[in-house]
Amino acid sequence: MLRFLLRRVALALVTLWVLSVIIFLASHALPGDVGRRILGPFADPRAVATLDHSLGVDRPLLVQYLTWIGGFVHGDLGMSLSFHVPVSQLLLRGLGNSVKLAAVAFVIVVPLSIFGGIVAALRRGRLLDRIITVGGLSATAMPEFVTSIVLILVLSISLKVLPISVQVPPDADPLTQIYHLILPSLPLVLVLFGYIARITRAGMIEALESDYTRTAVLKGLPWRTVVIRHVLRNALMPTIAVVATQTGYLIGGLVVIETMFNYQGIGQLLFTAVSQKDFPLIQAGVMTVGIVYLGATLLADISYSLLNPRIRLAGRE
Amino acid sequence: MDREAQRRLDEVRKGRTELENNAIDELIAGRVSRREFIRFATVLGFSMPALGVVLEACSTSSTPTTSGNIKKGGRLNVGHQTPAGAMDPILTNDLGRLTILGQCGEYLAWSDSNLHLRPVLATSWTPNSDGTEWTFKIRQNVKYNDGSGPMTVDDVVATFKRLADPTVTGNNALSNFKGVLSPTGVSKVDNQTVKFTLDAANGNFPYLVSSDNYNAIILPASYNGGWDQTFIGTGPFKLKAGGYVVNDHVSLDRNPTYWDPNNQPYLDGLDFKFYDSEPSAILAFQAGSLDVYTQFSVANGQGLLTDPNTTVIDIPTSAHRQVHLRVDQPPFNDKLVRQAMALAIDRPTIITGLWNGKAQLANDHPLFKMYPSSDTSIAQRAQDITKAKSLMAQAGKASGVDVTLYTEKVQEIPALAALLVSAGGQIGIRITLNLTDSGTYYDRYWLNSPMGITDYGHRGVPNTFLSAPLLSTGTWNAAHFANPTYDGYYADYVKAVDLSAQKAVSGKIEQLLLDETPMLIPYNYDFLTAVKKKVSGLETSGMGHMNFRLAGITS
Repeated sequence: MLRFLLRRVALALVTLWVLSVIIFLASHALPGDVGRRILGPFADPRAVATLDHSLGVDRPLLVQYLTWIGGFVHGDLGMSLSFHVPVSQLLLRGLGNSVKLAAVAFVIVVPLSIFGGIVAALRRGRLLDRIITVGGLSATAMPEFVTSIVLILVLSISLKVLPISVQVPPDADPLTQIYHLILPSLPLVLVLFGYIARITRAGMIEALESDYTRTAVLKGLPWRTVVIRHVLRNALMPTIAVVATQTGYLIGGLVVIETMFNYQGIGQLLFTAVSQKDFPLIQAGVMTVGIVYLGATLLADISYSLLNPRIRLAGRE
Repeated sequence: MDREAQRRLDEVRKGRTELENNAIDELIAGRVSRREFIRFATVLGFSMPALGVVLEACSTSSTPTTSGNIKKGGRLNVGHQTPAGAMDPILTNDLGRLTILGQCGEYLAWSDSNLHLRPVLATSWTPNSDGTEWTFKIRQNVKYNDGSGPMTVDDVVATFKRLADPTVTGNNALSNFKGVLSPTGVSKVDNQTVKFTLDAANGNFPYLVSSDNYNAIILPASYNGGWDQTFIGTGPFKLKAGGYVVNDHVSLDRNPTYWDPNNQPYLDGLDFKFYDSEPSAILAFQAGSLDVYTQFSVANGQGLLTDPNTTVIDIPTSAHRQVHLRVDQPPFNDKLVRQAMALAIDRPTIITGLWNGKAQLANDHPLFKMYPSSDTSIAQRAQDITKAKSLMAQAGKASGVDVTLYTEKVQEIPALAALLVSAGGQIGIRITLNLTDSGTYYDRYWLNSPMGITDYGHRGVPNTFLSAPLLSTGTWNAAHFANPTYDGYYADYVKAVDLSAQKAVSGKIEQLLLDETPMLIPYNYDFLTAVKKKVSGLETSGMGHMNFRLAGITS
């Protein structure tokens, strides 16, 4: 198991290094001059030149990369070019907000969709199965900005049951914070429910039709025991992989929802950074999302290998 | 005019300069309107009592705006565009920041929605006879919002030396002061007086030290950066402890040491919430989370225009879209083709369709009718397809021409571009669209395209619009227009301190630009602010300043 873990961590580090090179080159390939982005198109060229020089963006690319990656490895993410504050300060707040939103969405959507998938599989071909699969797929197909606006109009403006304001005072108690996060979580739930439920349903059906399930039933085990101890353990493996891969999306990919609800998560922060050509913020932001994504994938691999020993032993063969 | 009024007017005249007396003569003779006179007199530095005497003598009146039954206290939630960068006066170039600067900082003068200048940190100002020197009297006993002070003439001198200095990092004020003011031109006369000796004569200089030049809030001489930590200034509000979270919000409290005892703020404070997305801000306003939304577009805010619970403050501005036609490249190197393109446009329909009427007809030059110096006798250009086709034939282009129109995906600009494609198509100008993000447009295409649409913000005076995009040496000259006659007219316009002289040159400029047509300007649009009915007393300006000093919640 340790060897398996070390191999996965080493692979993750190589992936991060490749990501650092790609994001560095990609952010510098964005059109336009940093100083002009900050000062605006009508700024005096002399002002743009002095600003570019003071920011160090007129140095050779290799020097800039080595300076940045050296600082990153030592935990120094640099200063935001646009906002003149440490990148870490902006990222920590954005990441914290994104994690809160993702956590609320996860707590709602994961049990709900797994339960939905199990019920659909156990009621395969019946009305409930159709409602869950077709309804879930329809919800997934709807763009987030559409569901967001509809939910805001219905729940916040017309019925006034949920607040539109997502940001609460920092000293607000956890329940108040969760209450304010329910509305922006709902579009996420709608997006993810159908996907996770269908994967769970497919895994369940495959497991239900397998030989070991038939054997367990023929052994005379109660149906409830068969489902919980034999079917679910195998059926949920694809679901775990899917949920883990959605973590990156939930942490760093919610630009639309964060914008619609004016929520200062890492997705909106990255969007602002790209539009401002704020290199340190773009690079550190993408690396952070990458780390979160790889971390989640690693956790999924570990869970997967614990559930299925063939995975962790495969490397020895 | 009765005898008493004449006597008082004579008294006022005695203390005035030749330029000021000339302005009074123009008003009495009816050559300028009351509005034009007020605007021009405020530029020249007429005091309010003197202005009142002149207007009264000429049978006009000026009624001050009252705020109604506003109660003391309370806070307002204000939805506002996210600042585009660090909160620093010298770097500021966007609505997101300038509105915040104006709550905590103040200018020598305030440029109001009618383009009149109102004394704030200066009490009066006067030019010399040729407009090369301007002398400002500075208000005394003004404290900063951190309790320090008083503000001194040295502070004013240091502020403007910094703003005119090209070596200061990221100095955004240079675009206003280039060729107008150098650091050495700012000097202290005495403890109450500052003198600006200009690089060249400028009849509209007071606008450059007013709120129109949003970088120019007065800061202590000892200021050395880090404004976002202190929000220091002499304004009616100050930063609440821990109240600024970058990219998220700013909370301000009333400044207890505000200098004007008769105009203390009603509100306890303001909570600015930043929005990247206009639709989400409008939804928050409609849901009741916001009391004020500082600027909205007609395209997204139709619901606000008809909402019975919302007051819309509608300010005409000189903000506009400029369609440049590059004069040194085909197909627009022939002015007949440029004129034909201009005649193909149906401006009233565009204004109705894109702006729901919240824009003003413009005439393909930047001397908008709102400027007192514009010559409104010049005929408005109107759609004339027959004449446009005839011009195309005259130019030998009856079979049509092809051109690419480059622009940015911002607000209604793509829709305007589509309407231009349609207009051009009627007379054989086949336009292909190339829409990009703003950064790409300004970096790659703005100054290097045969045809493009550029968004220009509001200016209290047209000097910048007349110089940078149109002079042979203009740094924003996307049309590559080089006309020595125009350059001469512009020089005459800038140095004209006298309103009638400005108007005379304006007429020539307008005629020349209509003939040459290096650019199309179909409209200048309004600045729209949404305010809940319970809020009163908010004053806005075309530049995007929000004066909350006398705003509050009605009882």
